[in-house]
Amino acid sequence: MIRFWFPLGILGLWAVAAISGGWIVESANQIDLQRILQSPGEQGLMGYDDLGRPILQRIWVGAQVSLLVSVGVVTLSLLIGTAVGLFAGYQGGWLDLILVRIMDVFLAFPGILLAIALAGVMGPGVDNLIIALSAVGWVGFARLTRGQVLSLKQRDHVTAAIALGTPRHLILLRHLLPLLSAPLIVEATFGMAGMVIAEAGLSFLGLGIQPPDASWGSLIRDGASYMLMAPHMVLAPGVAIMLVVLSLNILGDRLRDRLDHRSNG
Amino acid sequence: MPRGELLAALLLSCLLITGCQDQERETIRMGLANAPLNLDPRFATDATSERVNRLLYQRLVEFDPDSRPRPGIASWRAITPTHYRFSLNEHAGNFSHDRELTSRDVVATYRQVLDPALASPKQASLELIASMEEVDTRHLDFHLKRADPLFPAYLTLDILPAELIEQDHDFARKPVGSGGFDLLDWPQAGELHLRRRSDGQRFQLLTVNNPTVRVLKLLRSEIDLLQNDISPELIGYLRRQPTVSVDQHPGSNYTYIGFNLQDPLTGKLQIRQAIAHAIDRQAIIHWVMQGAARQAGSLFPPEHWASDQLAPYEYNPDKARELLAELGYSDRNPLRLTYKTSSDPFRIRLATVIQSQLKAVGIDIDLRSYDWGTFFGDIKQGNFQLYSLSWVGIRTPDIYRDIFASDSLPPSGANRGRYASKTVDQLLNRAEQTSNLTAQAELYHQVAAELHRDLPYIPLWYEDQLSVQGSRIKGYKLMSDGNYDGLAQVKLKSVPDGKHVQSTTAN
Repeated sequence: MIRFWFPLGILGLWAVAAISGGWIVESANQIDLQRILQSPGEQGLMGYDDLGRPILQRIWVGAQVSLLVSVGVVTLSLLIGTAVGLFAGYQGGWLDLILVRIMDVFLAFPGILLAIALAGVMGPGVDNLIIALSAVGWVGFARLTRGQVLSLKQRDHVTAAIALGTPRHLILLRHLLPLLSAPLIVEATFGMAGMVIAEAGLSFLGLGIQPPDASWGSLIRDGASYMLMAPHMVLAPGVAIMLVVLSLNILGDRLRDRLDHRSNG
Repeated sequence: MPRGELLAALLLSCLLITGCQDQERETIRMGLANAPLNLDPRFATDATSERVNRLLYQRLVEFDPDSRPRPGIASWRAITPTHYRFSLNEHAGNFSHDRELTSRDVVATYRQVLDPALASPKQASLELIASMEEVDTRHLDFHLKRADPLFPAYLTLDILPAELIEQDHDFARKPVGSGGFDLLDWPQAGELHLRRRSDGQRFQLLTVNNPTVRVLKLLRSEIDLLQNDISPELIGYLRRQPTVSVDQHPGSNYTYIGFNLQDPLTGKLQIRQAIAHAIDRQAIIHWVMQGAARQAGSLFPPEHWASDQLAPYEYNPDKARELLAELGYSDRNPLRLTYKTSSDPFRIRLATVIQSQLKAVGIDIDLRSYDWGTFFGDIKQGNFQLYSLSWVGIRTPDIYRDIFASDSLPPSGANRGRYASKTVDQLLNRAEQTSNLTAQAELYHQVAAELHRDLPYIPLWYEDQLSVQGSRIKGYKLMSDGNYDGLAQVKLKSVPDGKHVQSTTAN
């Protein structure tokens, strides 16, 4: 059970920080020139940044952006990807062929590069960031869903449903989707980890949330110029990203182990 | 291959490698933040190119520390107020293709820049010239359209060889000048190889955009010299390093906040005064810039001959609140303004501090940072409420006309805030018609006082010039406008056996 507690504890803290972050935005953006680049200590647990703002509070507030973007992107990608995968896998034929080729094109193109291009065209902002990352995130879900559907639609209960004249949408929703949920949940967990890193990457490039609001990527970008004098500016948000991504990956592994009947058997 | 030949080839390779390494060791390397773009002085407008061009070419006129013009390669006398005779002096050198610089070259250079067909950005500052003629190889005459006692100060064009101008030579890539340095090679965009004529010392100017990487290269002795474009914190960090020495010199680059006087909000004097009282410039200079700046009272620094330092608006948040309250603004009804700045991280940082100081008196600032092209385009079009920028390398007070005269709106001038004052216009006209520099300075003081009252600009500070020298070199002297003239004196440190000192930090 302890194998679940570490990731769940970190992710719980992440969620609490994200929910409560709205109440401390003002103190996170409070400039105090006398505390510029102050190291972690009694005055501030994680030190202060290049404008004398407390890094702990800024990481706290940054959790909100990180959670919002990763949940938003994974939800949107899951919906689009699953719908496309279900349709392509079940329908087959030339429609499947076209959709698979489209997926191949998306997979062949470096995802983060496409997201950077889209975010650059649409302009900075959380909403645009979610759209840009979803534009590349849906493909993984679609491919997984299609593969599963190709296998599942040969099963007896699906053949029986077809023979009984069950409408297609009911077959998809009642007989296929429930069986897909386990691999999709696992994929979504890993997808969230990827999106936390992608959001931080785009914010690092200045395509995410705009100053003075904080996100983990922009905190690292601000700190990169002061690495020699104030390494805490980079280390603190870096460790936050690492812990959340590690927790999501561990959780994904544990869920896969638990939901995979073959390994359980 | 026989063993003997193989051995000889190996020996030869070793000798060649050792020779190259010796040459590398004896080269002084300077780290630049931006690559020079154009070494043709008729077209170069970016600061790095202009600074490199100063090394490669010579000018008729130079400037004293108080910014008065002094003879460069020529002395002058005014025969009449509109007729000047320039005489080339002993400082006029030879071009790098080994021909003496003569008055023919000067006339050819100025004629070509004045030719509208060339479309040189330097043409506007020379429109005062009606004609010029070569008297003999050492003397030339300038005839002016109207009298201007500041005229010699405008003659800062780098001189090119006449015959190469006629041949349409590519000076941008293959400069031929008579300055103290020759360009040896330009292998890639950010790398220039120069040779100092006086002693053959070789230099490399290497572009390293990231300031942290530039500092790390200095600490590893991959470069020997840095100048400016480093954050104050990095300078503080370098001061604590035993292997490098930091030099600081008061600078003349003027940073200000500009207002759009045609905007319904920033057009009101009380709002501009409230902003001036709300910004704590001393705190910014002390804490953010780590003391590497002087608070500004007017366009020119105190050492400039036309300067009149006026008492800056005191930091007084209560007074700012009072002024805003008179216009009906309060915490419940805050004044909302848009502040534009460039995307340079340090400029954004300064703007964020100003934003927080203005918020403390009830002004909500929407801070917008843009890439340089978009930002400068908006400023020239008057598409702003307030913005911050710097004037770099200004020398002569005729800049007042360019910035504040009511007929100097962009694109013909730089009156970006659309400031219009009959008093200032009259004072500028009188100053330009005055033949005496002292009387002219007095009139410019009156202009500065008018501007201080009307506040089209809030003067912020003059940023210091900073250089950092590695352990291998000595003697680099900083200039107040940030040019690289100090390279003429810098030397490699020598040890008694005549060999150059090796790096103390390089592996």
